[in-house]
Amino acid sequence: MASLGSFLLMATFVIFAYALAASVAGARRGSRQLVESGVGAFYLAAAVMTVASAVIVQAFVTDNYSIKYVQRYSDQLQPMFYKITSYWGGLDGSIMFWVFLLSAFGSLAVYVNRDRHRELIPYVVAIISGVQLFFLFMMIVHKNPFETFLVQAPKDGQGLNPLLQNIYMVIHPPSLYIGFVGMTIPFAFGMAALITGHTDDSWLRAVRRWTMVSWLFLSLGLTLGMIWAYEELGWGGYWGWDPVENAGLLPWLTATAFLHSVIVQERRGMLKVWNMTLVITTFFLTIFGTFMTRSGVVQSVHAFGEDRALAWMFTVFMVVILVFSFGWVIKRLPMLKPRYELDSWISREAAFVANNWILLIAAMLVLFGTMFPTLSEALTGNRLTVGPPFFNRWMAPIGLIILALTGVAPLLAWRRSTLANLLDSFLWPVVFALAVSVGFVALGVRVWSSGLCFALCAFVAATIVQEFHRGGMVRKEATGTDAVTATIGLVMRERRRYGGYIVHLGIVLMFLGFAGEGFKADEQFLLKMGQEATLRHFKVRNDGVQVTDDGQKQMVTGRVAVFENGKRLGTMYPARWFFRKHEQQPTTEVAIRRTAGEDLYLVMPAYDLKDQSMSLQVVINPLINWIWFGFGILVLGTGIALLPERAFAFALGRVPSETATP
Amino acid sequence: MKQKAVKVGITSLVLILALAGLMYSTLSEGTEYYKHVEEVMVDPGAWHGKNLQLHGYVVKDSILRKPDTLEYRFKVQNKGAVVDATYTGIVPDTFKDDSEVVLKGKLDARGFHVDPNGVMAKCPSKYEAKKGLTGPGA
Repeated sequence: MASLGSFLLMATFVIFAYALAASVAGARRGSRQLVESGVGAFYLAAAVMTVASAVIVQAFVTDNYSIKYVQRYSDQLQPMFYKITSYWGGLDGSIMFWVFLLSAFGSLAVYVNRDRHRELIPYVVAIISGVQLFFLFMMIVHKNPFETFLVQAPKDGQGLNPLLQNIYMVIHPPSLYIGFVGMTIPFAFGMAALITGHTDDSWLRAVRRWTMVSWLFLSLGLTLGMIWAYEELGWGGYWGWDPVENAGLLPWLTATAFLHSVIVQERRGMLKVWNMTLVITTFFLTIFGTFMTRSGVVQSVHAFGEDRALAWMFTVFMVVILVFSFGWVIKRLPMLKPRYELDSWISREAAFVANNWILLIAAMLVLFGTMFPTLSEALTGNRLTVGPPFFNRWMAPIGLIILALTGVAPLLAWRRSTLANLLDSFLWPVVFALAVSVGFVALGVRVWSSGLCFALCAFVAATIVQEFHRGGMVRKEATGTDAVTATIGLVMRERRRYGGYIVHLGIVLMFLGFAGEGFKADEQFLLKMGQEATLRHFKVRNDGVQVTDDGQKQMVTGRVAVFENGKRLGTMYPARWFFRKHEQQPTTEVAIRRTAGEDLYLVMPAYDLKDQSMSLQVVINPLINWIWFGFGILVLGTGIALLPERAFAFALGRVPSETATP
Repeated sequence: MKQKAVKVGITSLVLILALAGLMYSTLSEGTEYYKHVEEVMVDPGAWHGKNLQLHGYVVKDSILRKPDTLEYRFKVQNKGAVVDATYTGIVPDTFKDDSEVVLKGKLDARGFHVDPNGVMAKCPSKYEAKKGLTGPGA
C-alpha cells in the first residue's frame, strides 16, 4: 500500500506538469483542444489525490505500522476518530492534505468558471498546477508520508500526542488549511487576469465568494486556535504572538484588506494595483507562514526542530513567486491605471485606502517581530527575540485605528462627504460614545487603552444600529410593511452590505473581549489541604486531590471549593491526565467557570498525593467570552453576505420601481 | 510622471524611516538574547543584567524545591558548561531531569534568575511536535 501511495504522488506530479504545459501551450496557440486536455488532466490529478488520501487514511484505520508516518502518529489504543484525523497530524501528511485540498478547490473553481471566464481558465490551471508541483516535489524527494521502515516495522504505534487528542485539534488545522489553500484561487485568477491582459473586474467577480469563504475559514481557524490555547494549554491566555499564531494572522490581515479594497475597484475602478498587490501578498504570506513554521527558521516553543533542506526549497519557491507575480504587475502597470482619481480625503475611497495601509502596516509589523530573531542573527550574530510586550505595544493602537475605521468608513459618502453629511451621519454615534466614555471615566477606567477601546466599541456599534434603523425605516415607508419585515427585506436585498455590518458588529464584540485583558488577574498559590486563597472577589479552598483511571489514562483531579463575595458557588475540578505510553507528557485539564462578565480559570500544575497539597494558578479573565460570542456573530454575518443571488429575488421584487436605490 | 515618482519616493522614505525607528526602539529595550549555556559562560560578566533566553538541559538530580513553597533551585548545562538557576513559581509538566529548557531571565554573579512564568520546557524524549506548548506563558 505504501508503494501505491508513493506511486500515486509521483503520478500526480506528472499529471500536474502536463496540465501546466498543455494549458499554457493551448492558451498561447489558441488551441481549445490543448486547453481542454489541460483542464481534464487537472481534474484527473484531483481524483488521484483523493485516492492517495484514501490510501493513507486506510493505512491509519488498519494500523499499518510499516509506514513510518502512521507509526509515529497513531497507536492501537487510539480512538478511531483520531486515527483518521491523524492524516494531518504531522508535517508530511499535512503537506499532502494541502495538495489534496488545493486540487479539490482548484477543480471546483475551474469547473464553476469554465464558461463565464473562459479566457482566464488556462492560466488559472497553470498557476495552481505550478504551486502543486512545488509541494509534490517537496514530498517526493524529502518528506514522503508513505515512507516505510526499511527493516522490521514496530508492532505498535507511538500514538498521537495527548495534547492533540481533542476536538479542536481535529477542526483547527483543516479550517486553517482551507483558509490558506483557498487563498491560492484568488491569486491564480489575479495572475491569469494579468497574464491575459483582462485586468477589468471580471476576475474579481469570479473570486469574490472564494475569498470570503477562505477568509471565513481562516478566521475560524484562528479563533479555534485561540480557544484551544485557552482551554487546553493552560497558561491562562489565548494569544501569545508565537510565530505559529502569527503565521495564521498575517494572511488574514491582508485578505481582510483585499476583501474591502475590491469594493472600491468594483464601484469606482480605482485601487487596481492595490488589489493585485494584496492578492499576491496574501498568497505569498500563506506560503511564508507554512515556511516559517516548518523550516525551523524561527524558534518557537511550538517547534524546536530544524530542517535546512526544507527551508531552502521554500526560499527558492518564495523568491520565484515574488519575482513572477510582481514582474507581471510591473509589466501590466499601464492596464492597471485607475478610472478616477481621489476627489477628497473625506470620502469612502480614502477611508478604504487608509484601511489598506493600516492593515498592511499591521502585517509588516507582525512579520518584522516574528522574523526579528532571524534578522538580528544575520545582522549582528546575536539571536534576539521580541515578545508579547513589543507586539501588544504596536498592535493596540493599530487595532484601535482599525476599529475606528470600521465605524467611520461605511458612513462616508463616495467621492466627497460634505459637512452636512458628516453631521447627519456621526452626530448620534459620537454623542452615544461620549456618554459611554463619561460613564467609564466615572468608574475609574483608564483612557489608554481600555477606555478608548470601550468608547470606540460604543461608537461603531451605534453606527451599525443607525444604519439598520435608517435603512429599515426607508424600506418600511416604501413597502408599507412593519419594521421587522422591512429590516429583514433590507438585509436580504443587500446581503453583502448588511452581512458586512453584522460581521463588523461581531468584530466590535471581539474587541470588547480583547479589552478585558487589561483587567486580568493572575496569581499562583501553594495550598495545603483545606487551605484557602483569595483573588479579588473570589476565594478558593483546596478540598483534596483524587486519582482515578479509565483504561486509556490516569486522572489526578483536584477538588477546589469556590466562593464569590463570601457566597459558595460550587466546586471546580482542575486536573492532570497521564495517557498510557505518554506518561512523560501529561495534559493539563483546566477548570473554567464562565459568565458574560468574566471567566474564573483554575490550573493545578502540581500536587502531592501524600499530604493532599496542591499548587494552584488562579486567573480571572474579564469579558473574555465576548470574543467567542463576537466570532459567532461574525460567522452569521459572513453567511448572510455569502447567500446566493437567485434565492432572494423575492426581496428585490417587493420594492416599487420608483424607490431610489441606496 | 515626475509627480508619480515623487509620491513613490516619499512613501518609500517614510516607510524606511519608520522601519529604522522601529528597529531602534525595539533593540533598545524589550529584546532578549537567545543564547546557549556555553555561549554565556565563556564570559559571564559580559551578560550580567541583560535579558536572556537561556537554552540548555536540566542537570540530572539537580532540581531542588524548598518545602511548602514554589521556590526552585536547579542547574542547567549545555556542552559541558553549567550554570546555577533559581526560580519562584509554577513549572511546566515537562520540567524534569534532562529536559531541554529555554529560560527567560537575567544572569548575575550568584547565578541565573528566571522571570515569573519564564520556564519553557520540552519533554526529555524525542518530541517533534507541530503544535503544543509546554510552559506557563509563551
